[in-house]
Amino acid sequence: MKKITDDDLTLLYYGEHDDPSLAARVAGSDELSARFEALGEELSRMEALAPPERGDDYGAEVWRRISPRLAEARQSSGWGWFTGLRTPRFSLAGAFSIALVFAVAFFLGREGALTGPAPTGAGNTQDLVLNDLDPGQLLATSVSRHLEKLNVTFTQFANSSELSDGMADRAMDMLLANRLYRQAAESRGDKQLATFLGELEPLLIELAHEAYKNSPATQNRMQQELKDSLLFRIRVMNKQLNDSQIST
Amino acid sequence: MKNSSQKTIRKAVEGDRLAFRELVLENSHAMFNLAWRMTCDEAAAEDIVQEAFIKAWRSIGDFRMEASFRSWLHRITVNTAMDYLRKRSKRQKLEVDEPQWERVSQASEPARTDVQIDIRTQTQAALMKLSEMERAALMLRHFEGHSIDEIANTLNLSANACKQTVFRAVKKMRIELQPLVAT
Repeated sequence: MKKITDDDLTLLYYGEHDDPSLAARVAGSDELSARFEALGEELSRMEALAPPERGDDYGAEVWRRISPRLAEARQSSGWGWFTGLRTPRFSLAGAFSIALVFAVAFFLGREGALTGPAPTGAGNTQDLVLNDLDPGQLLATSVSRHLEKLNVTFTQFANSSELSDGMADRAMDMLLANRLYRQAAESRGDKQLATFLGELEPLLIELAHEAYKNSPATQNRMQQELKDSLLFRIRVMNKQLNDSQIST
Repeated sequence: MKNSSQKTIRKAVEGDRLAFRELVLENSHAMFNLAWRMTCDEAAAEDIVQEAFIKAWRSIGDFRMEASFRSWLHRITVNTAMDYLRKRSKRQKLEVDEPQWERVSQASEPARTDVQIDIRTQTQAALMKLSEMERAALMLRHFEGHSIDEIANTLNLSANACKQTVFRAVKKMRIELQPLVAT
């Protein structure tokens, strides 16, 4: 009879041994049972290698971090869809509002941070104006207005077969604003709002880069996504923000 | 790792970002666990997960629907982790410093008792003594439940070479873990 090695027992332990009689032989022998038990006990010590836990929103966090890099990654790999994605679009009309959003987001982020030196120089004038405001309320008001604009643009997109030329420019402005508000919400520790804003970004990116152009399937999918849940969720979040402003 | 639906995978393969997003949401935790077990380094594991998904998106057009998506993602994660470990090993040769996992193991588990931390630290130490290939093979077999054939495919080894790699890893781990059994 063939001698049973530790390698055989390892295969048995992992359910990989191709001899169906081996388990019976091990069970029927004290010596083999003891060896098998020792192997199991020693390997079970590896269970101490429990990875640090990630929160429920870890997947969303990973997506938030990688999504801006995906378009570039796909292009560099030679995939042709999303042509023209690298050139950022800016409308002059949106530039001023972006600057304003940036100032608000900067203020909210700074107020939300627990530590860190206060900015000096040019930022001080802004501080004098903004220091009297409640940052939480300012964030809620600003994001609420942002969501109203998103609601209008998305509703227009969801219900139109022919899209205006200005749609992509508007979406790019809103994408940039959305990122700043998301960062401000993160800095303030408002995870729910930050996650929600992060979830809007994939669609805004596609809209800003006209992923729907020459692709009826993509346009249908984007419109369906909006109609199925996103528009509703934007309205609900907007209502929550408005309610929170009333209650404070 | 959840079994992502074939429909979602197919859509992602066709370039659907939302479908890919769903795959990211479904698989991030499991990929983090695998990356952490490969590196014993929390920050590195997070970077590896992100890098692996970027690589997956870049090459998802090449994915064959008849293959296992889970194994495919694992292969990318393991390869990314191995690249990271090679770079780290080069860096550590230039630095006189304690290994990264020792610092992480002590800092990231405040709730554990001293004995548990000791076991964990020693287990990590044992694991980090394995070669990258042995560690990957053992992690995929022991924690992810992959078959020897799947691991061989993931690590680009023959089935026999893969089996021998697992055997070597198990032997080395047993030598290191034996003293902990009585603990």
